[in-house]
Amino acid sequence: MAKIIGIDLGTTNSCVAVMEAGKPKVIPSAEGKNTIPSAVEPVKNLVGEVAKRQMILNPENTVYSIKRLMGRKVSEPVVEKTKKLVPYTIKAGKNGMVVVEIGGKGYTPQEISAMILRKTKVDAESYLGEKVTEAVITVPAYFDDSQRQATKQAGEIAGLTVKRIINEPTAAALAYGLEKKTGETIAVYDLGGGTFDISILEIGDGVFEVKATNGDTYLGGDDFDEKIIDHLVEEFKKENGIDLRADKQALQRLRDAAEKGKIELSSSQETEINLPFITQSQAGQPLHLTQKLTRAKLESLVADLIENSFKPVEACLKDAKLEVKDIDEVILVGGQTRMPKIQAKIKEFFGKEAHKGVNPDEVVAIGAAIQGGVLAGDVKDVLLLDVTPLTLGLETLGSVSTPLIERNTTIPTSKSQVFSTAADNQTQVEINVLQGERSMAVDNKSLGRFILDGIPPAPRGAPQVEVAFDLDANGILKVSAKDKASGKSQSITIKDAVGLSEEEIEKAKKDAEIHSKEDEEKKQLVEVRNQAENLIFTIDKTIKDAKGKIKKEDKENLEKEKEALQKLIAVEKMNLEEVKKQTEKLSQLLQQVGTAMHQQGEKAQPNQAKATGTSDSDKSDKAGKTPKKDEAEEGEVVN
Amino acid sequence: MKVNQKIKLAQLEKKVVQLEENWKRALADYANLEKRVERQKQDLAFFLKGELLLNFLKVFEDLKRCQKALKNEGVDLILEKFERTLTNCGVKEIEAKGKIFDPESMEAVEKVKDGKKGRVSQVFESGYLLDDQVLKPAKVVVAD
Repeated sequence: MAKIIGIDLGTTNSCVAVMEAGKPKVIPSAEGKNTIPSAVEPVKNLVGEVAKRQMILNPENTVYSIKRLMGRKVSEPVVEKTKKLVPYTIKAGKNGMVVVEIGGKGYTPQEISAMILRKTKVDAESYLGEKVTEAVITVPAYFDDSQRQATKQAGEIAGLTVKRIINEPTAAALAYGLEKKTGETIAVYDLGGGTFDISILEIGDGVFEVKATNGDTYLGGDDFDEKIIDHLVEEFKKENGIDLRADKQALQRLRDAAEKGKIELSSSQETEINLPFITQSQAGQPLHLTQKLTRAKLESLVADLIENSFKPVEACLKDAKLEVKDIDEVILVGGQTRMPKIQAKIKEFFGKEAHKGVNPDEVVAIGAAIQGGVLAGDVKDVLLLDVTPLTLGLETLGSVSTPLIERNTTIPTSKSQVFSTAADNQTQVEINVLQGERSMAVDNKSLGRFILDGIPPAPRGAPQVEVAFDLDANGILKVSAKDKASGKSQSITIKDAVGLSEEEIEKAKKDAEIHSKEDEEKKQLVEVRNQAENLIFTIDKTIKDAKGKIKKEDKENLEKEKEALQKLIAVEKMNLEEVKKQTEKLSQLLQQVGTAMHQQGEKAQPNQAKATGTSDSDKSDKAGKTPKKDEAEEGEVVN
Repeated sequence: MKVNQKIKLAQLEKKVVQLEENWKRALADYANLEKRVERQKQDLAFFLKGELLLNFLKVFEDLKRCQKALKNEGVDLILEKFERTLTNCGVKEIEAKGKIFDPESMEAVEKVKDGKKGRVSQVFESGYLLDDQVLKPAKVVVAD
């Protein structure tokens, strides 16, 4: 089934999201932003960021805030008010409905909104790589039938079948998964770029009922920016006697700096507005603007704006015939609600923390996408993919547990790795399948073991045994081992490799944490010992292969140092540092001898490279464990 | 019995078709995801590099403003070096002055009466391209 996108068609900005694998995801615009300005220039067909950039050159032809006019008649007071504020022409069209006149042509608000919706559709298609034809679009809770109808038509003009129109506060509540909280009352505080809305909803059996709405259609984040600019201009005037508002270039820089400063003060207590060479004094001297702005100062600058927003909140409660204590949940929508002071005020007013966690600029679109997912059947039928709770691996040389499938890997999954033998002429390897987070095999749980035999005799490290782990969606693990040379293979099937009780998982994880240091040490000991043994093996081989080509004193020297190393690793509690040192010394000596042999015109032994490997010994060195015949085979072994 | 088997067979056939459909869809989703991850990686690289460069470009702009007042030979050398470094990072200044206004790469912040109509008469803040994509539009004054 095709995806249904969710669109927050906003007054100042719009946002689009979609469900993917059961999770909502905001779709970035072609410009790489998560929201697009709701601005349109219909003559040149410019939408979003691009339309906004040319707005002041082309104000009569650039439409913004079209949402204020959706489904309205020219006679309505809100249209009268908007007319005075926007530079484009608003006229009466069919049945007295609003049209905007651009370049001598009339456009309905539906047509203008459709251009924004079409952009979100195109962006979504390019993101998803498939056609998008269906959408859920949000509207303010106070939208009447005619406004909702107009929004639906806008979607259709844009080539979208509008599956549902939902209220913005409802979408926000969906984004927080509140639809399950039957009988609760929710307040949604939405302070966007240019408008403020407060809505009170009641949830009954998955259905949201709007109890009351209120707001201020001309209060938003932009007003907060203006307050900062006013303050900075005032301070600069006091100090230098120059009005920066008269200097367009300076004001532009100030505007950007004010918004940036406001955002910074949401996470830090103090910021510095630093604008060197902002203007010139009357004498032609360059002047700089440097002002510290504290969070406290900002809060005092905008205190009245915040205070004002609570009047509609009180009115809304009254309309809903509710008291503050009746509100069970509070949700924040709109970028300006990131301001800590606003969050504190809300907590003070409602006596509880507001929901946080979903980006307030995106929360409405996310809720719309979730609704779209429900309609598409995505959300109900999400195929829940399981993960493997513990690491699966096998035992390798020195009783080390080598992981193949790491913990938290989504299943079904499969993984394979090539291992080798640990001794010369080893004809069989034992595969011990392990589960757990510990470094050493004995500390993990053995799920089963089997033996692969019939490996043709060969020097250690030469045979290639491919071990494959295949964990299916039901948690059934199939482990197979195949000798590449002989083609012989063996496998085992282990049921319930995933199915562990919660306690078992917790215990295994805790064990791993507690023992991680000790395990690391053990593992390091084994690795160092393996490395030393490898080196000893290589030296023996080099001496044997070189026969007469090696100088007598070199050979004696090598053997002497080799014996020293053998002695060091023979003891039960070997000294890690000493073994490391001796291995290093011997390895260098072997290199010198090798070089000397090479200079004598002989080829250096290829094994040298391996012998000088660092402690991160490569996987093939951790060869398959020497088989122990006396151990019984466990688990279900199949051929 | 036979009828039952037939019904069962029909049910199973239906299920196979459905499962095959689901499976193909999952494969397609995955293939699309792979493509997207690749694109997102590039986008992320652009974004991270861009964010970092934007911060330095602000300082660069300040330095240029400073030089307008100072006219110091040494600072000229620093600016040259700065510009070369930016070029090496894939940054190119958007040529705006005297050009026809283009909202794809420019943002109009003021319009003035004098000058050729529709052309940029003054650049308030330089704009920049990163790897030929707009990193920051130029803020310009346009003659109208």
